[in-house]
Amino acid sequence: MPVALVRLPTVTTAPFHSLFWPRRVLLWLWILASGVAIPAGLEAVTLSELTDNPKLSPKKFASYFSSFAYEFNAPIQSPSAFLQREKGDCDDYSVLADYVLGRNHYTTRLVHVRLAGRVAHAVCYINESKAYLDYNNRAVFFTLTRSGSELREIANKVAASLEASWTTASEFTYSYETRRKTMITTVSKTGGPEEGPPSATNHPSAFNVD
Amino acid sequence: MSTDPGTPPPQDNRTFQRVLIFFVLILAVMVAIVVATLSNLNRSIATSDWVNHTHALITELDALQPSLAAAEGDLSRYLLTADPRDHSAYQEKFADLGERVAVITALIANAPGEQQQFTPIASLLARRAELASRIANLKKAGDSAALQQLLGDETIRSEQRDLQRRVEKMRETQTSLLTERDRASFQQAQTTRWTALGGVVFEFLLLCGAAWLIRDDLAMRRQAARLLEQTNEQLEAKVRQRTAELTASNEKLVTQNLEDRWAKQALEHQNRYNLLIIDSISDAVFVVTKLMNVSRMNPAAVHLTGCEPATLIDKPIAAFLRLEATAGSATPGFDPLVRTLIEGHELRQQAALLTNKSGATIPCRLNVFPLRDRDKVVGGVVVLQALSSS
Repeated sequence: MPVALVRLPTVTTAPFHSLFWPRRVLLWLWILASGVAIPAGLEAVTLSELTDNPKLSPKKFASYFSSFAYEFNAPIQSPSAFLQREKGDCDDYSVLADYVLGRNHYTTRLVHVRLAGRVAHAVCYINESKAYLDYNNRAVFFTLTRSGSELREIANKVAASLEASWTTASEFTYSYETRRKTMITTVSKTGGPEEGPPSATNHPSAFNVD
Repeated sequence: MSTDPGTPPPQDNRTFQRVLIFFVLILAVMVAIVVATLSNLNRSIATSDWVNHTHALITELDALQPSLAAAEGDLSRYLLTADPRDHSAYQEKFADLGERVAVITALIANAPGEQQQFTPIASLLARRAELASRIANLKKAGDSAALQQLLGDETIRSEQRDLQRRVEKMRETQTSLLTERDRASFQQAQTTRWTALGGVVFEFLLLCGAAWLIRDDLAMRRQAARLLEQTNEQLEAKVRQRTAELTASNEKLVTQNLEDRWAKQALEHQNRYNLLIIDSISDAVFVVTKLMNVSRMNPAAVHLTGCEPATLIDKPIAAFLRLEATAGSATPGFDPLVRTLIEGHELRQQAALLTNKSGATIPCRLNVFPLRDRDKVVGGVVVLQALSSS
C-alpha cells in the first residue's frame, strides 16, 4: 500500500500509454480491491459504530470482520466480547449480523445447518440481498453468497460450500438479552417440502424454562 | 470389365452398415451405462442421505439424556448457589435440549412409526422442563418445603427410567434402520460398480466385434486384391504370349509378304518376258481358248489383221481365219481347228486364209499348238505366217 501511494504521482505524469502497462494495470487493480475490501478504520470496531451507521450494508458489515480469527465457542459471545477479541465462530458472526442489520432495516434470518459428521454451521440470510453472510467468507472478495430464500436452498448452498452433506436445517432467533436461542422451524434433508415458518411467538418452546 | 468408380461395391456398403450398427450399439450402450450409473448414483446419494439422517437421529437421541442431565445438574447447582450464571447455564442447557427435540421432530416428520415412538419421549422431556421451571420458581419464591416435596417426588425417578427405556428402544429401532440403510447403500454401490463393469465389458465385446468385422473385411479385401493381382498377372502373361505370337506372325507375314512381292515381281517379270517373247515373234500369234476365242494377240497379229486387240479379243478366231481346205466347201463341217484342240494334237503347216480389217484375204501358213495344263488342253496357240508381202 505505501509503495502504491509513492508511485502514484509517477504514474500520473507518465505518458498516457504507460498507464496500460501490465504492471500498472495490476497496481490499479490492487489499489481498487484494497479500497473495497479494507474498512476505513484499522482499530477494532464497536457495536455502536455498527448500529449507528445508517448506511451500513451487508457487504460493508462483512468487511469489518476480514481480519477476525476463528475460535469455536459453545455459547454465543456478547457483541462487545466478539468485536473486542476479534475472535469467534459462525454463531457469533451470524447473530451479530442479524442484530446489526436488523436494526438497519434489513430483513434477516438466522439459519443453522447441521452437517453429517461435522459441527453445525450458522449463517445470516438477508432477504433484500437474496444472499447470506458466512463467517467462512469474511476474508474473501465475495463476502455475500447468493442463494434462494427457502431453508433447503440455503442449506444446500452452505453444505456445498463446505463440501458436506446436511441433515437438518433450522431457522432460529437469538436474543442477546435473554441469551436464548428460539427455534422457528426445522427441516430435514430427507423430509418433505418445507412448510411456511411458524411464528415463534405463537408457539413458545416448552423448553424455555424460567 | 468396366466399373463405375462413383458407386462403391455392395460388399463395401454391407461392411459399412455393419460397422455403423456396431458403433450405434456402442453409443447406445454407453448412453445406457451413463443413464444407469447416474440413476444409481442419485439413488446412492439418496440412500447416503438416509444413512446420514439415521446417524443424525441416533446422535440426537444419544444426546437427549446427557443434555437433560447437564441441564438438571446446572439447575441443582443453581438451587444450591442461586448464582445467576448457573441460572443462565441451565436455561441455555434446557434451550439446547429443546433444540435437540426440534431437530428430532424434524427428522421424523415423515415417519409415523417413529413419531409414535418419540411423542412420549418429547412429552416426558417437556414435563421435565416444566418441572425445572416449577422448581426454579419455588426457589425464587423461597418455598423450601414445597421445593423439598417436589424434589422428593418418586414419579420423577420413574419417569426418568421410562425415558431411558423409551430412548433405548427408539435407538435400537434406529440402529436396525441404520443397518438396513447401510446395506441398501452398499447394494447401491455394488449395483453401480457392476453396472459400470458390465457396461465396460459389453462395450469391450462390441468393440472386439467391430474390430473383428473390420479385420474380416480387410482380410477379404486383401484376398480380393491378391486374386485381382493374380488375375492381372495371368492376363499380362497371356497378353505377353499373344503379343509374342502376334509379333512372330507379323514377322512371318512380313517375310511372306516380302517373298510374295518378290514372287509377284518375278512372275510379272516372267510374264513380261513371255509377252516380250511372244511380241517379238514376227509371225502373227493368237492365243485362243479351248473354244477358239481369241484371248491374246501379238503386234504382228495386229499388223496382219489390221485390228486392235480390243476388237478381236473374245471373238472366235473363225470369224477372220479359215483353213484353205475348207474355204470352198459349200457345206460347212466340223471346224478342224476346234477338232485339233479337242483332240489335243498339233496342226502344222496348214494353208489358211485370213480376212483382215479391210476385207482382203491373205493366204497364210497356219500352225496350231494346244496349250496343256497337266495333260489337259486349256487352249491353243495359233501361229500365222503370211505368204505374201501384202
